[in-house]
Amino acid sequence: MDFPQIIELLGKGVGYTIGVTVACSVTGMVIGVAIAMLHRLDWKPLNRVLGAFVYVFRALPVLVLLFIVFFGLPNLGLRVPPVVSMMLSLGVIAGAYLSEVFRGALDSIDPNEIMAAEAMGLSRLQILLFIEMPQMLRFSVPGMVNEFTTVLKYSPFAYTVGIPDVMKEAMALSAATLRGVEIYLAVGLIYFAIYKLLVTFIWALEKRYRVPGLTEH
Amino acid sequence: MLLTVRNLVMAYDGRTVLDGVNFDLEEGELKIVMGPSGCGKSTLLRCLNRLATPTGGQILFQGEDILRPDTDVRALRQRIGFVFQNFALYRHLTALENVTLALRRLRRLPVAEANARARHELSRMDMLAHQDKYPAQLSGGQKQRVAIARALAMDPAVLYFDEPTSALDPLMAREVVNMLHQLRRDKVSILCVTHDLYLARAAGARVLFLDQGKILAEDEPERLFDSHADPRIRAFFRQELEQQRPEPLPI
Repeated sequence: MDFPQIIELLGKGVGYTIGVTVACSVTGMVIGVAIAMLHRLDWKPLNRVLGAFVYVFRALPVLVLLFIVFFGLPNLGLRVPPVVSMMLSLGVIAGAYLSEVFRGALDSIDPNEIMAAEAMGLSRLQILLFIEMPQMLRFSVPGMVNEFTTVLKYSPFAYTVGIPDVMKEAMALSAATLRGVEIYLAVGLIYFAIYKLLVTFIWALEKRYRVPGLTEH
Repeated sequence: MLLTVRNLVMAYDGRTVLDGVNFDLEEGELKIVMGPSGCGKSTLLRCLNRLATPTGGQILFQGEDILRPDTDVRALRQRIGFVFQNFALYRHLTALENVTLALRRLRRLPVAEANARARHELSRMDMLAHQDKYPAQLSGGQKQRVAIARALAMDPAVLYFDEPTSALDPLMAREVVNMLHQLRRDKVSILCVTHDLYLARAAGARVLFLDQGKILAEDEPERLFDSHADPRIRAFFRQELEQQRPEPLPI
């Protein structure tokens, strides 16, 4: 079995790896944006709850949370499918980290713009949607790239709950052929290629929506 | 009467910022508010559109008491144009989008109609050629014009200017005076807070002198600047004149 053949066999898991990474990143985005926006409402009891949520989920190891969701919840009568388990563990933890990225970005918005929007008669929700969120997302690109890369690198945990991703294919192939060095070298190359694809896609988006003078330093 | 302010009081952190302010603004009138730094000029403007809530007094806007608890503050603000000291343009939006935002989100105008209305206002401010530029690509004077177009697009009953020349160089400050004259010709009611003596003189409007939260005088600028009976007012303007006198050119 030569190297291209190994890559081809591992390729069967690429779709799952990308799928898990995208699903967990989207979950993280939704949770991160929601927490950052809710924080902006400046309602103290809610802020305390959000703060505790972020504090706890940033501290939990991904694998521990994944096992709690996938192996623990069925004991309570809740059977969670593997991909959803990944979203509820890796995705939620990514959301806790991203919420901090978004909060920092929101703090970079000129308060005078918010005051001008209030003076204009826009509601708090309209200010969030049309003034704060578009700028927040642009300011957050470097932090988002960082977090999505982390999600990709934690995605191999998917094999522990039975998702046939690149890692699972590699373990099966390695057990059958005993050619671990070539196989895991190929796995590394595949992850690097996915990383490159992800980063290229995000920077292309950033370039498409770049505003002169907003994010350049 | 468009605006009537009676005995307006604003206090916070144990400090009285406005202490019984009284004045009127008629339809189509331009009035200037001057006074030393920290005298309450900007707070006064913020109270007038409820960005700040006064602790006492009465503000009648178009005959309606806007300090009543049941006042629809957002609806009130849509009838008032506010031009900020530092322009406060939305940096992620083009000049055109800055002007259309309120038209689309508050007036619910369709895109084409909002764009047409915004282009009309930008054209009035001689900024149509710059409609697709972002704030960072505009000069201070151009930003000021977009900010005014944005305020005018909602067809407000009054425009409040907060220090419109403080972030501009002298040449651009002259442009602001020209704009004020143009808006006055168009019968736009304006209340302008400034410490710029040139602006106050050139605008040719009555000046309210605010000091320590009180209106000490209301008069024509020349009489106020040169020969007012109150020595505090004469001292303030003499000092301002000294500070704003241009440096002599080096020989």
